Amino acid sequence: MTTQPMIAFREVHKYYGDYHALRGITAEIRPGEFFSLLGPSGCGKTTLLRTIAGFEDISSGAVLIDGRDMAGVPANKRPTNMVFQSYAIFPHLSVAQNVGFGLRRDTRSKGEKAKLVEEALEMVGLKGYGARAAHALSGGQRQRVALARALILKPKVLLLDEPLSALDRKIREQMQVELIKLQREVGITFVLVTHDQEEALVMSDRIAVMFEGEIAQLADPETLYRRPNSRRVADFIGVMNFLPATVTGERGDTITAEVAGLGALEVARSQVSLAPAGDQAAVGFRPETLTLLYEGQQAGDREAQGVIDEVVYYGDMTYYDVRLDGMERPVRISMRNVFGRPVLDVGTRTRVAWSPGALVLFR
Amino acid sequence: MKFPPLKIYALAYLLFLYAPILLLPLFAFNDGTIIAFPLKGFTTGWFAKMAENDTLRHALSNSLIIALTSSAGATILAVFAARASTRYRFRAKGSIMGLIMLPMVLPDILMGMSLLLVMLEVLRVNLSIGTVILGHVIISLPYAIAVLQTAFATLDQSLEEAAVDLGETRIGTFRLIVLPLVMPGIISAFLISFTISLDEFIVAFFLAGNQPTLPTYIFSQLRFPSSIPVIMALGTCLVAASIVLLSVAEFFRRRGLKRTGAKDTGGFL
Ligand SMILES: Nc1ncnc2c1ncn2[C@@H]1O[C@H](COP(=O)(O)OP(=O)(O)OP(=O)(O)O)[C@@H](O)[C@H]1O
Ligand SMILES: [Mg+2]
Repeated sequence: MTTQPMIAFREVHKYYGDYHALRGITAEIRPGEFFSLLGPSGCGKTTLLRTIAGFEDISSGAVLIDGRDMAGVPANKRPTNMVFQSYAIFPHLSVAQNVGFGLRRDTRSKGEKAKLVEEALEMVGLKGYGARAAHALSGGQRQRVALARALILKPKVLLLDEPLSALDRKIREQMQVELIKLQREVGITFVLVTHDQEEALVMSDRIAVMFEGEIAQLADPETLYRRPNSRRVADFIGVMNFLPATVTGERGDTITAEVAGLGALEVARSQVSLAPAGDQAAVGFRPETLTLLYEGQQAGDREAQGVIDEVVYYGDMTYYDVRLDGMERPVRISMRNVFGRPVLDVGTRTRVAWSPGALVLFR
Repeated sequence: MKFPPLKIYALAYLLFLYAPILLLPLFAFNDGTIIAFPLKGFTTGWFAKMAENDTLRHALSNSLIIALTSSAGATILAVFAARASTRYRFRAKGSIMGLIMLPMVLPDILMGMSLLLVMLEVLRVNLSIGTVILGHVIISLPYAIAVLQTAFATLDQSLEEAAVDLGETRIGTFRLIVLPLVMPGIISAFLISFTISLDEFIVAFFLAGNQPTLPTYIFSQLRFPSSIPVIMALGTCLVAASIVLLSVAEFFRRRGLKRTGAKDTGGFL
């Protein structure tokens, strides 16, 4: 598939004085995609997003939108619109004036503009709110106004800087679903900045995980979760158990690793990722790929024994920290709470099963 | 009442502050030339006499012209200075802003003398209300800047970016977004400059040449006991005008705040 990318970063560097904020970003964002920039605070997500909008000059490299180099194109001439983290609603204007702000330079008649505003408000579920004072809206409503205001100009790209971080949990989850729907409806490329890995996994087609001004991994959510390309990414996305391992053999496509307490494990080469140089090799498991076995249950592939160290009850799920025999540190196992299966107590001896296909070897 | 001494102190303080001002209307309406108790009787004659006084009218119009133009000038300059100091980084910003703010703490008499020297020896201009206006712009500028810096600093920068992002130019953004949002600050800055100029004595005394302003006229009349009741009437009018002016300004300021839903961060009243 050789469609032209909607956004292309070519070796983008950004310095703030001596501080190297973006360190050679090269990536492509596809047309119509829901793309997320994910990373810890200060990694440069916002800076990268602002280079697309034109608020941040880059020190070297190039940013292309729809094939066109954006060097020297000011923010007000770029085919992008932005939803700001603070929403940046103009407090002295009405909702309709806010939403219609971008149409000021449009030559259409007043009536047509009013109709566009009404349509945009309807799209975000604020039909009839036009005459309200913008400063009197709730957080969720402000965000909708900011969305309508940005989308009314039908940009090629919509940029969102942590748009949900100021909302409380319930509204945030509801807005996540609405944003996905909205993006499918309008078909515009969305680029979202977030530091919330769950939010990125839920919403995105593809995610770029950033650390210290660099993209560590760019992949779809499932690949990121199942096959993180480094321990750092694995650690940042969800929970992963790391068990020290020693590589004892390589044969064709399989590698054999020895883990204390689990014995020799065979890992497919496609399941091998990077560990920091000099670090000991490790085997990684997601908590849900391990299972506690109840009385009389048969093991899947492999089995080990251990004692429950800690129990964290979440209603639908329970997290168990289990210290396997022969292992120094406990591993975290998550179990769905099924009717008829009691939550086990701390100190219970239990059997644990896993399947070798679910593990990642970091070496 | 939990702690009466504090309350008494507060009352005494207010009395000390405002009782002298209350004496103004008292004697302005008193039918007698001597400023002393007991009061003689009620008259509005001093006000009529005040209205007939040509020099006084001249001084008043001079003062109003000086106050209006100098506060307009100071406010406009302060808008640029406050904007630059809160939004942009430039070389030697600290020292430049420090020098601009210095007249706030410099004794007025120094300002008056040095400005007089500059006008007469360096610029070689004749003293007039024009030179007073210049002087008043310089002394009220720091106050106007101080007020406006707060207004600009509390303005969320992403509002401007949002307007630019939506296709507006930098100048359009300033006109449509920045200016309306700092308007309460602009009104405050104008009022402060206006009141500073209106009752400023020393600089006006040095720079006005033979032109009277209200404060210099009042001072010159205090030598003549017979004209003191007229001064009292004038003072009464000024007090009334100040109250009206501040109330109107405060009304507009509060309305501006309400329209933008901003928090009240202090004004005059
Ligand atoms: N205008 C600036 N001047 C100097 N340094 C800056 C500037 N803007 C950002 N930085 C620095 O660049 C780095 C990246 O900032 P950025 O805002 O992109 O981080 P972020 O990933 O969005 O983090 P957060 O999740 O906290 O918003 C930070 O270390 C920050 O201190
Ligand atoms: Mg950020």
